[in-house]
Amino acid sequence: MQMHPALQIQSMMKALTDVVLPAVDPANKLAQEQTRLVLGTLALMAQHLPLRFQFNCDELTRLLKLAGILRQVARGGPQTTVCVDKMALAATSAVGTLERGQAGPAVIEQAVRDMRAVTSQVVRSIYIDGDEAALKQVEGAVLTVSRDQLLRDRSWMLMQGWEPDPQAIPKIQDLLEARAA
Amino acid sequence: MLAIDKNRPSPAWIAALRGQFPTETEIDRVLTRRMQRRSGPGYSPLPLDVLVSGVESLICSEVRDAFKVSDARWLSGGASKLQMAFTLSWNRPGVGPERTPMVLRMEPSESIVETSRLREFQLIKAFQGVVPVPPVFWCDANGEHLPYPALIYGFASGVTKPSASVSGVSGLGTHLPPELRKRLAPQFVDHLVKIHTFDFRRADLSAFEIPSVGSTQCAEWGINWWERVWEEDHDEDIPLMRLCAGWLRRNMPTLDRPVVVHADYRLGNFLFTEDDSRISAWLDWELGRVGDRHQDIAWTTSRAFGHLDEDGKTFLTCGLLPENRFLEAYEEASGLAVNPKTVHWYKVYNDYMMVTLLLATGYRIAHGGKTHQDVLVTWLMGIGYMLLDEMRTLIEEA
Repeated sequence: MQMHPALQIQSMMKALTDVVLPAVDPANKLAQEQTRLVLGTLALMAQHLPLRFQFNCDELTRLLKLAGILRQVARGGPQTTVCVDKMALAATSAVGTLERGQAGPAVIEQAVRDMRAVTSQVVRSIYIDGDEAALKQVEGAVLTVSRDQLLRDRSWMLMQGWEPDPQAIPKIQDLLEARAA
Repeated sequence: MLAIDKNRPSPAWIAALRGQFPTETEIDRVLTRRMQRRSGPGYSPLPLDVLVSGVESLICSEVRDAFKVSDARWLSGGASKLQMAFTLSWNRPGVGPERTPMVLRMEPSESIVETSRLREFQLIKAFQGVVPVPPVFWCDANGEHLPYPALIYGFASGVTKPSASVSGVSGLGTHLPPELRKRLAPQFVDHLVKIHTFDFRRADLSAFEIPSVGSTQCAEWGINWWERVWEEDHDEDIPLMRLCAGWLRRNMPTLDRPVVVHADYRLGNFLFTEDDSRISAWLDWELGRVGDRHQDIAWTTSRAFGHLDEDGKTFLTCGLLPENRFLEAYEEASGLAVNPKTVHWYKVYNDYMMVTLLLATGYRIAHGGKTHQDVLVTWLMGIGYMLLDEMRTLIEEA
């Protein structure tokens, strides 16, 4: 298919820069700000588009790792037990999705959402009726896995310019390639 | 368990969340109102004429003499409310005939931060003459005159950043030159001290409740507020957010002294005059509450609101001064001790609140097309991950 989203985004950005932005009323601050935000968002999309599938596969792998640890350590009352069982089922399904070479981007994205939901419910339940020792182990696992994921999330958003020390954040391409290797 | 449609919340689900997360009455009222209205239409562009008519209706209900509204125009700035500047020609009580520049601040259909216009109105009014604030005139707390709840305040002169500088939206990412920092930093500390030592019991703050001293009620009201919003708004869940809510509840600090908390005290939320580097107005009081001073102290030191000094090593609180100097100056001027453990807890709390607003409410309202600047709300979601990582680090360090 010749009409590729990358080309469409590039064309939209050019039209906005060359034609629309100069025509926006300089006195309309809201319109000025939003035109520039649309340009920024399009630039961010252009960067994300070729990497999104890889990013989601990478995150799903990490969530499955977290689920594996939680399954081992999360012990508690009825609520924790139910949540762990649900998580185990979702993880089995997600492993199958990830291993199917032809799983499409939407399927992978849904698996990420499902795993986020079930692991989150295990964490929530452990504070309700989990064992004290299990709670410490769960906290440790979530904090460790979150560190790796958040490094990628921050890198994913680097272009927006929020980071006080952007040089300290590796490029997302490098982080994803490191996993693939 | 039945799936919950957060875009069309059922009365039973709304009631369940209200019961699960009790908080101040006025906070409960505005959160409940937004959920009851969520399934309604999104935000449609409002012509300035409609707002002018609403402003005229509101003023007409408050002012007996003839008046005229003119020069209406949109303002940018801020991520949560619509703002329209205008001029009111009127016979101002105690002053006489005057052309007063004013600002209408109105909610969109749903805001990235759902708050009470009445509370904001009462707080700004209470601080007239205490710290620089714009004069506040009228409040349409329930949207009886305007399409949505709104307030009208006087236009304050000044800028949020040097005219020649570059910054991100909402004043984030602003870099101030060293000379300007030296002039603004002492005022920044002094005003915070004045807010925290203000005798709020003598002001009309009827829309606020006072948490009890020597208990964890203040902290608990806060967690309930934001955990309720997380439940109401989030799309993708985040295990770290669940961990954070649990951690906050297990480590709640007790309140030693209730004070007025601005709750958004930072660079970008005050105006200063460029000719004499004087802070001319503190803005955005909408998240203010009667609570724990450590909430403000923790807020100003967030990574999101500061940047590194020219040496590339020293992080400047709100881009103004190093954190240790900020805390020393505050304690000396206020006579109030700063408990590092409580500050630490409120840093986690503030991150929890911010991530909730950015990643949960930001998603939900942009998805529903509820604001006049969905593109801005979506853009701001990008900050959420940096704050999540800050939250993670803080919990690890605790």
